[in-house]
Amino acid sequence: MPKNKGVSRLWRMLTVTAAALVIGLADQSAVAQTAGGDLIVVQSSNPPSLDAMVTTSQMSRNITMNIYEMLYGFSEDIRPIPILASGVQISDDGLTYRFGLREGVKFHNGDVMDAEDVRASLARYKEIGGTKSMLAGVTGIAVTGPLEVTLTMEKPFPGFLEAFASPRAPAVIIPAEEAAKPANEIAFIGTGPYKFVEYVPDSHVKLERFAEYSADTRHSGIDGFGGKKTALLDTVTFRVIPEPGAAVAALEAGEVHLLEQIPVPTARRLAGNDKLRIYENMPWAFLTFIFNLKEAPTDNEKFRQAIQIGLDHEEIMAIATEGLFNLHHGWMYDGTTYDAGEIGADRYNVADLERAKSLLAESGYSNEPFSILTDSQIPEHGKAAVVIVEQLRAMGINASVNQVDWPTALQIRLQDNGWNGWTLMMGIEPYLGPEAIVSAFAGAASHFRAPDAELDALYAELVATADLAARQAVFARIQQRFYDIAAVIKLGENGLMQASSAAVEGFKPFRYPRVYDIWLSK
Amino acid sequence: MSGFLIRRILSAIPVLFVVSLVTFAIIAIVPGDVTAELAGAEASAEQRDQIRRQLGLDMPLWQQAVNWYGALLRGDLGHSWLLNRPVTEAVLERLPVTLSLAGIALVLAVVMGVLLGVAAAIRHDSWLDQGTMSLALLGLSVPDFWFGLILISVFSVGLAWFPTGGYVPISEDVFGWARSMVLPALALAFTQMGVIARMTRASMLEVLGQDYIRTARAKGMLRPTVVFKHALRNALVPVITVIGVMTGVLLGGAVVIEQVFSLPGVGRLIIGAIQRRDFPIIQGGLLITASIFVFVNILVDLAYGWFDPRVRNGR
Repeated sequence: MPKNKGVSRLWRMLTVTAAALVIGLADQSAVAQTAGGDLIVVQSSNPPSLDAMVTTSQMSRNITMNIYEMLYGFSEDIRPIPILASGVQISDDGLTYRFGLREGVKFHNGDVMDAEDVRASLARYKEIGGTKSMLAGVTGIAVTGPLEVTLTMEKPFPGFLEAFASPRAPAVIIPAEEAAKPANEIAFIGTGPYKFVEYVPDSHVKLERFAEYSADTRHSGIDGFGGKKTALLDTVTFRVIPEPGAAVAALEAGEVHLLEQIPVPTARRLAGNDKLRIYENMPWAFLTFIFNLKEAPTDNEKFRQAIQIGLDHEEIMAIATEGLFNLHHGWMYDGTTYDAGEIGADRYNVADLERAKSLLAESGYSNEPFSILTDSQIPEHGKAAVVIVEQLRAMGINASVNQVDWPTALQIRLQDNGWNGWTLMMGIEPYLGPEAIVSAFAGAASHFRAPDAELDALYAELVATADLAARQAVFARIQQRFYDIAAVIKLGENGLMQASSAAVEGFKPFRYPRVYDIWLSK
Repeated sequence: MSGFLIRRILSAIPVLFVVSLVTFAIIAIVPGDVTAELAGAEASAEQRDQIRRQLGLDMPLWQQAVNWYGALLRGDLGHSWLLNRPVTEAVLERLPVTLSLAGIALVLAVVMGVLLGVAAAIRHDSWLDQGTMSLALLGLSVPDFWFGLILISVFSVGLAWFPTGGYVPISEDVFGWARSMVLPALALAFTQMGVIARMTRASMLEVLGQDYIRTARAKGMLRPTVVFKHALRNALVPVITVIGVMTGVLLGGAVVIEQVFSLPGVGRLIIGAIQRRDFPIIQGGLLITASIFVFVNILVDLAYGWFDPRVRNGR
């Protein structure tokens, strides 16, 4: 069919114009990555410490992950990737890990990182690290070259690299002279894109662009905790504003740029404000209900199964999270590597009151008190407890809520008596993977108080298994065990709402606010 | 006068002793300790016990108290377990924020409260009286944290006149300091303004009905002179008593207002210490705060002498 030349010419012109516009806009976007300015990020409480390796606090991680770096960290899709390491050679027997180091990486004090800094940092972590058990099986940390450190293992630990890359209490690299100091007594010197300037408790933490930052050029951009990081801002101020209403007011007034967390109803209210941007970080955490297996009546499996069948998860999650939740039975997020399919789906969010009552009768329950331990620090904990207690009463259980502050809750839950159920949000564990989840419920320090022998055996098998398919199979059995013994109930998944001024460009929600590769539009 | 002052200072010592003793008792009763924070997420029971031993928390309470009082007599309030610095240093660093806040709030409450009270009394039963007393009642009824948020919403977000929060040290920028203090001090003062306005009004009404006021008027003295020189000076004696008590209320209220306006004051320091069980900070912070309260009340006692010659002359 002959073409209409006029239309064709017009079409070509339009196409060329459109292409030019796209290129122009793309260029403009690149140019628009303006350097400079002071980004003000708000978080609700003080970082308990800026000595990154000794704390597991999210408030600390928000800041420290912009100051320090690890040898290995997680990528965006939660794979361990080298950051300060050039790579790792694992011996065939799994007993030796030879970490090569990137050359010419500078610390904030101007010194160049070498193998001794890495050895000293890891030795310090093994002593005082917040999750030092990950190095418990490491029998030797040796400098085997100017840019090489070798770890020797007691026995093979197939999941070692995943554990080592964990950001929970990150195994960051600091200068050797700092690594010789006790916990919380170091100068805050890292290799990250921003360097520490000052910390005024209850006011702010100030960071400054590290002009000599050694970007990882193996990547084209940021990737999870690693990648090629570019510090575009002159300074970053993390301000501490405890009152959520005041934090939102500060954002609306243009005094601050980024809120690390905002209440869900506030996010809905601000959604139409074109001067702001709202981000949904979903899923963020699991909300769980954990039982004490050493205290009656929760030492009775049938009794726990009655609660498992009777709870209405949708009601609990809707109220506890103010509407920002997913209902998913899996003990890993839906569609992720270790998602164990339909196991347990038949016992999740059943909300069958009659069956629950019948199971209660079978359990021989005779109106013993049931105390739900919860705290006032994390709102989701308390709200979930209030809904659960009403549902338990409807089942015929003599339930009550014991709401205390966080340190008190931590102390009570370490006791064998005085509590039956405990509401706990698990944020970092589901992100880190199956070992992190199961470890909380395995061993002598299990959240259940009384360890479950079969679960412990499965955990040991998971840790010792290298092959992915085999690991997935073990985790599927673990999920089955979770549902069978009903010692912990996953209530659901909740999210995190964040907000920024429209002037903040390039921000991508993540496990901490990455203040590199973002900029302030003029 | 000096004898009176020495007596008052000496009488403050048992008060402060009781305050510190009660604080010790409360700390002993409250469950939970600092080991959860210090030992980390993976600490075993043995590691926690070791930290307790290091900090002396395994000692009997009386022994801990004796050690603490012994150090206090040497001028040492102890060392913060979590801040890793001397308690005195940590508290004194925050004191200017809290004292600025409570001081400005006190001045605002007294000035506004007295003016409103006088206005209501001299226009007794008029719309002005009703209006000012309604405002005073509103001040008494509204929670200060809520009023603080309303002030932020109107004057910071809406009009952008003042910052939403934060503190600017006076040494850095006097104007910035004043701007950062206006809204928090106003929020804190509003409740107390109501108390003072109502008290001033009642006191003024009583004084204005006295014979000497009628005599002063009859002699042709100007009304402002009668009101402010003769009536108000006498009417202020009960108000001054309230100011002494109010200092404690304002220092207590500052804890909440410091949260709302993100001010790094002593209140937030103590709250943080309570949440994390940093006992030396709680103990030292409360003792210093109580000392300020006692000191202000001594000043109030001295002020009676200025306002009331009967006290000055020992009658």
